[in-house]
Amino acid sequence: MSEGVRWSRSRLRAPLLRLSLIMVAVVGAACTENLDGGAACPSLCPEPSEQFRDTTFDAVVQDTSLGGFPPLGIGSNLLLANRPDTLVTRVIMRYDVLTTSYFQNGTGSLDSITTVDSVFLKVPLDSTGRRGSEPVTVEAFDVDTTASDTVPAVLRSLFRPDRLIGSLSLTPSATGDTIRIPINKTVMQAKIAAKGRLRVGLRLSGRGQLRVRAFTFGTSASTLQYDAATDTTYRPIVITAQTSLPGATEDVNLAYTTYTLTDLGSSPPGPGTLVVGGYPAYRTYLRFAVPLRITDSSTIVRAELLLTQQRSRFANVNDTVSVFPLVPSATAEVSDLRRALDLAADGLLLRVDTTRFVPRDSGQRAINVLSLARSWRTQPASVPRALALRIGLEGAQPAELRFFSRTAAPALRPKLRITYLPKSEFVLP
Amino acid sequence: MSALNTMTCPARRLALTFAALLIPHAVLAQGSLGALGFGYPVNGVSTRTSGTAGAFGDIDPLSPVNPASLGGTRQTVLSAQAEPEHRTLTVGNVREKTSSQRIPLLAMIFPARGGVAVGLSARGFLDRSYTTTTSGTAVLDGNTLTTREQLTMRGAIGDIRAAVGWQIGNWARVGLGGHIFTGENTAERIRTFADTLQFGSTLDSSRATYIGTAVSLGGEVRLFKGLSAAASYRSGNRLEARIRDTTRASGSVPSRLGAVLRYDGIPGSSFAVGFEQVGWSDMQPMASSRTNASDAFNYYGGAEVAGPRFRGVPILLRAGYARNELPFSLSASRVTETRIAGGLGLPIAREAATIDLSVQRANRLLTGSSTKESAWLLGIGLQIRP
Repeated sequence: MSEGVRWSRSRLRAPLLRLSLIMVAVVGAACTENLDGGAACPSLCPEPSEQFRDTTFDAVVQDTSLGGFPPLGIGSNLLLANRPDTLVTRVIMRYDVLTTSYFQNGTGSLDSITTVDSVFLKVPLDSTGRRGSEPVTVEAFDVDTTASDTVPAVLRSLFRPDRLIGSLSLTPSATGDTIRIPINKTVMQAKIAAKGRLRVGLRLSGRGQLRVRAFTFGTSASTLQYDAATDTTYRPIVITAQTSLPGATEDVNLAYTTYTLTDLGSSPPGPGTLVVGGYPAYRTYLRFAVPLRITDSSTIVRAELLLTQQRSRFANVNDTVSVFPLVPSATAEVSDLRRALDLAADGLLLRVDTTRFVPRDSGQRAINVLSLARSWRTQPASVPRALALRIGLEGAQPAELRFFSRTAAPALRPKLRITYLPKSEFVLP
Repeated sequence: MSALNTMTCPARRLALTFAALLIPHAVLAQGSLGALGFGYPVNGVSTRTSGTAGAFGDIDPLSPVNPASLGGTRQTVLSAQAEPEHRTLTVGNVREKTSSQRIPLLAMIFPARGGVAVGLSARGFLDRSYTTTTSGTAVLDGNTLTTREQLTMRGAIGDIRAAVGWQIGNWARVGLGGHIFTGENTAERIRTFADTLQFGSTLDSSRATYIGTAVSLGGEVRLFKGLSAAASYRSGNRLEARIRDTTRASGSVPSRLGAVLRYDGIPGSSFAVGFEQVGWSDMQPMASSRTNASDAFNYYGGAEVAGPRFRGVPILLRAGYARNELPFSLSASRVTETRIAGGLGLPIAREAATIDLSVQRANRLLTGSSTKESAWLLGIGLQIRP
């Protein structure tokens, strides 16, 4: 450009300003980064992906089934069943404290109860699921005794006609969520007069079953109700179940407040077999040994517990039942497996989902344990890599699942199928 | 034994931190021709030099290439710049556009007595930031499952230089510089399955840090009035790639030899032509067999002329052309690049501050294939002479 050409400042200012603004705008627009690429892959993507590896192996180093679940007083349902070929149970309810006085109408004075009317045992039921359509009769017996009444044989001996204090015939499928069993007024009056207690044993006659709510308080609790007089203006007295055993802890008292006696239940697991559910219910515990190169040095993308199911012949073999995972989180110092199961976390907390099975089926079944397997990396080494299985409606479901254990033939043993991606240092080109 | 090998761990961390603050910040798409291997050779130069397609690199004091160019600087100069890039990759019928943001160079020059000047700079050396999203398959139990993979690579290697230049009379300049090459790459790979119920996703990450040193020296001689020649050489020392404090690979900082002829016989104008040879193969030992690192021969020519005056100071107009070879490829095929550049130098406070603008059009081609890439690189730089 010739030096002789004189450009005035005013003539330059506008185009320069315009140019600068354009450049700033373009540069500013370029700050909006667009990261999506890959159209030229794989030809121009040099970092190859590590290949997934798949392995199925006998990872179970310990497995066992433990019975007696749920512990007395813990379950939320009680199963009252009379299926003589598979399952027969009785239910015990203890009302050790009876109200013996009431406020009389008009006078406001506290009087002793000398007569009662409308005595009922109000029993909430679990009305979900399939129920029987055959008529059954619920019989209530007075099972109070001075003998050792925590002994099942003693209690069973009290279910006799001279102790029958009430009954109710019903068809389970046509029944609502509560039944009211009328109780003999004379018996009740006598117990109140003697400041005694009422301990009721329930038994079913006729083929069928009822699932009784086992709560001891709240709206779902079984209650004893009676009127303190024949005058219908009195509100019924409602008694909730409670008991007190000499020298017993609160846990024990709670366990014996409402509970079941099993006359006939499922058979124990037997050798080479693991059981989930049944009656009394079993839980299955499995402990795994998985190489650190998989748990710690890889990313697990699929983990399945493969179990070979045996055909079950106990009770409701055609019903679909749910199996819930439990994740034992206690350290190996807790060697008592029952205690370890008591301390186990609900599998849902680790996003291990429930799995559904049909008891009559057989063959290999898979339980997705991906979240559990991924959690092993973060767990201390002192915590066994384990999983426990329990059945849904445990203790109130007449169904069981049977699987082969690690002592069975090699092809039938529990296995872990894990798909994983080994960690790699792929940052260098 | 490099000087850095004797540095203590805190000193290394400090160097890394410094580099992380100053080295270019870029996002390129892998699968692009420019970002293969250890990354795109940013070779951060000033916006002025960018406006000449790199031709002024050996004679521009703000470009940390030839330490001799610092000699004779009479004013303190602080310089910062940004250089976003818009790239379009074409593979067959597929076109993919990406954009990135870079700060390729921060530089300071402090004049001393007797024609001596000291320069401190941090510039981008290799830029390896990209994200790819691809779909693929995995065969499990004989079943082919659809997977989606996202690979995110971030990081760069920077070149931190301290140099001194000395002007010897009116006929020569010499200079010496020390370099620390440091930076890191962080890779993160996420793979997901279409069946999210049965299969979990994977998240794998890997991080490498780089540390190396080099020494550069250069000179410029006035051959006769209006014509001078400049040359520089960088001798690379050991360059290490470390993963979790363990040296996983080592090579050398690429050596570089550059030379340029400058003609400024026309008042207000400068013209330069030159070449450089960069020994990128020095980094081959650090790479796997999948990556080829080849020496690059780059040629360029450029001009800067005084244009119309603004506030009494001439506006500088620049233009240039370059033909480069990119260092990394996946096969024997090379990626070549041509650049056409233009730029302006705008005084904004007479000689106390200048804004430089540059526009570069780069076309890259993978030899022996139809894969090509074009890019717009927009540079804006600010120089302050307090």
